[in-house]
Amino acid sequence: MISDKMKAAILKELKLKEFDIQDTTLANQVPGWDSLNHINVILAIEKEFAVKFKSIEVLKCKNLGDLQKLVDSKLPQ
Amino acid sequence: MFNFDISKIVQLLQFDKRDPLLFGSSLFFLLFIGVLVILQLLNKNVKLKFAFLTLFSFYFYYKASGALVSVLAAVAVGTYILALGIRKFQNTGVRRLLLILGLLGNIGALGYFKYTNFILQAIAQAQQKPFEALQIIVPLGISFYVFKAISYLFDVYWEFFEEDHSFWDFLLYITFFTNLLSGPIDRATSFIPQLKQNPTDSLTNEDIGRALFLIMLGLLKKYVIADYIGLNLVDRVFDAPVRFTGIENLIALYGYTLQIFCDFSGYTDMAIGIALLMGFRLMENFNFPYKATSVADFWRRWHISLSSWLQDYLFKPIQLSVRRMRILGNIIAIVVTFIICGVWHGASWGFIIWGALHAFYMSFSVLIKVPKTFIYEKLHITKLKVLPVIQTIITFHLIMFAWLFFRMPNLDAVKEVLNQMVTFLKPDVAIQFIGAYPVIIVLMVIGYVLHFLPGKVYQFIESLVIKAPLSVRIVMVTVVIWIVSQFRFADIVPFIYFQF
Repeated sequence: MISDKMKAAILKELKLKEFDIQDTTLANQVPGWDSLNHINVILAIEKEFAVKFKSIEVLKCKNLGDLQKLVDSKLPQ
Repeated sequence: MFNFDISKIVQLLQFDKRDPLLFGSSLFFLLFIGVLVILQLLNKNVKLKFAFLTLFSFYFYYKASGALVSVLAAVAVGTYILALGIRKFQNTGVRRLLLILGLLGNIGALGYFKYTNFILQAIAQAQQKPFEALQIIVPLGISFYVFKAISYLFDVYWEFFEEDHSFWDFLLYITFFTNLLSGPIDRATSFIPQLKQNPTDSLTNEDIGRALFLIMLGLLKKYVIADYIGLNLVDRVFDAPVRFTGIENLIALYGYTLQIFCDFSGYTDMAIGIALLMGFRLMENFNFPYKATSVADFWRRWHISLSSWLQDYLFKPIQLSVRRMRILGNIIAIVVTFIICGVWHGASWGFIIWGALHAFYMSFSVLIKVPKTFIYEKLHITKLKVLPVIQTIITFHLIMFAWLFFRMPNLDAVKEVLNQMVTFLKPDVAIQFIGAYPVIIVLMVIGYVLHFLPGKVYQFIESLVIKAPLSVRIVMVTVVIWIVSQFRFADIVPFIYFQF
């Protein structure tokens, strides 16, 4: 499930007031999340959670649920 | 009685590089009806059905490329073996090594066949030495199936396949005849899952209507609009631009802009429609590209299977690896991607400049995005209804200007066209031109009007065809074939995109 913290980071970066983000949501379904803005959203998430992704880890994410799992895997248990 | 000569039929079915199985040819039409009948007979044995389709696909390629069918087979087998290794091994280093080997093998094959002479010539020119071209025959459609193979390797490496699949599944994916020579560059992750069941099981009456609509639309676009305008206007003017006034060069450029769209999208419409008649759903390839309101928007609508391929397997990996450079990172990724996009289209400086020009358009729009948004908001024009119209007109002409480099054989010819437009425009000649070539003008108007029709009107026309009863469909197909036959020439204009 997408955490409130991640959702807030995404909405803030894309200057959106509200948007329903689910595990199955694709990046290009979120308004403003286009191929050029992609890096800004990824950098914003890295900053928010103080984590660093490898490029391949991001490329393997099929949807936002996968991205959330990636973030979770980077956080201390 | 009939004088039946079997040797002539054998000759007709044999490899002939001047006579590939084009979708609009009578031979393809007859063979495809035979294929549909056999598929129906094999309908209860799905494995046999797929095996037959693979065999026919190899024959389809043999008919166009002869012994070079071995290149297709080698790409298929080599790619699958390496991908199998990636699937089986857990070790990251080994998996990466196999991926790199697969990429090198595929890019090496593409590079050898398409770019060897270009590179050798450039080296010879730099050294001011004479150049003698090597006898290398480029296998038709190699850029398309090599890109399919590369996307498969990446998708296996990134673990995008949810279910297991066999070599035979992959072989049908890579050789599937409808998109083998000219795309769409379909993804294995979308095609292979369709092989888990009999594709015709989910085929509805509406799907058949849509397939027929796409085939009829493709025939009209390719054989009526593109070929007629190409042969009678574009080639004549651009073969010797200085013999024509600037206005005629300009009309020819508008003609070429329509021709390349109708030629390429018409052929892929047919590919998608033919696949759909057999129950296979290929990815969309064009979405009214000239309606784009920006160059970035154009690339979301033009040759979508290539642009999304470049985005997923080239742009994104580069962009992510340099993401900390933010805007500069985006620009680096854009420039590399579009130069390679140009090179993919062929070994010539014209294609490379065309790619570089698109890279410039895209990079410039990235750089001015913030000030542009600021100015638009200050002027309160963001919600003006006329704004997207102006943006579409500007984008269309930027794209059209870039096509000039794509079409002309060299930079001198580009200069000639531009020079005629600037110094010898003679706009009054346009009236004479319209009077002298009314069919060309009518076809151009029909082509552009159909393209720029509001989406709802277009969908209404499409739904009329899709929902038509069988008798009406038969009449429509007959009428379209009649119209196409009226426009067909003794010598068929070759399909522009095969050379890529």
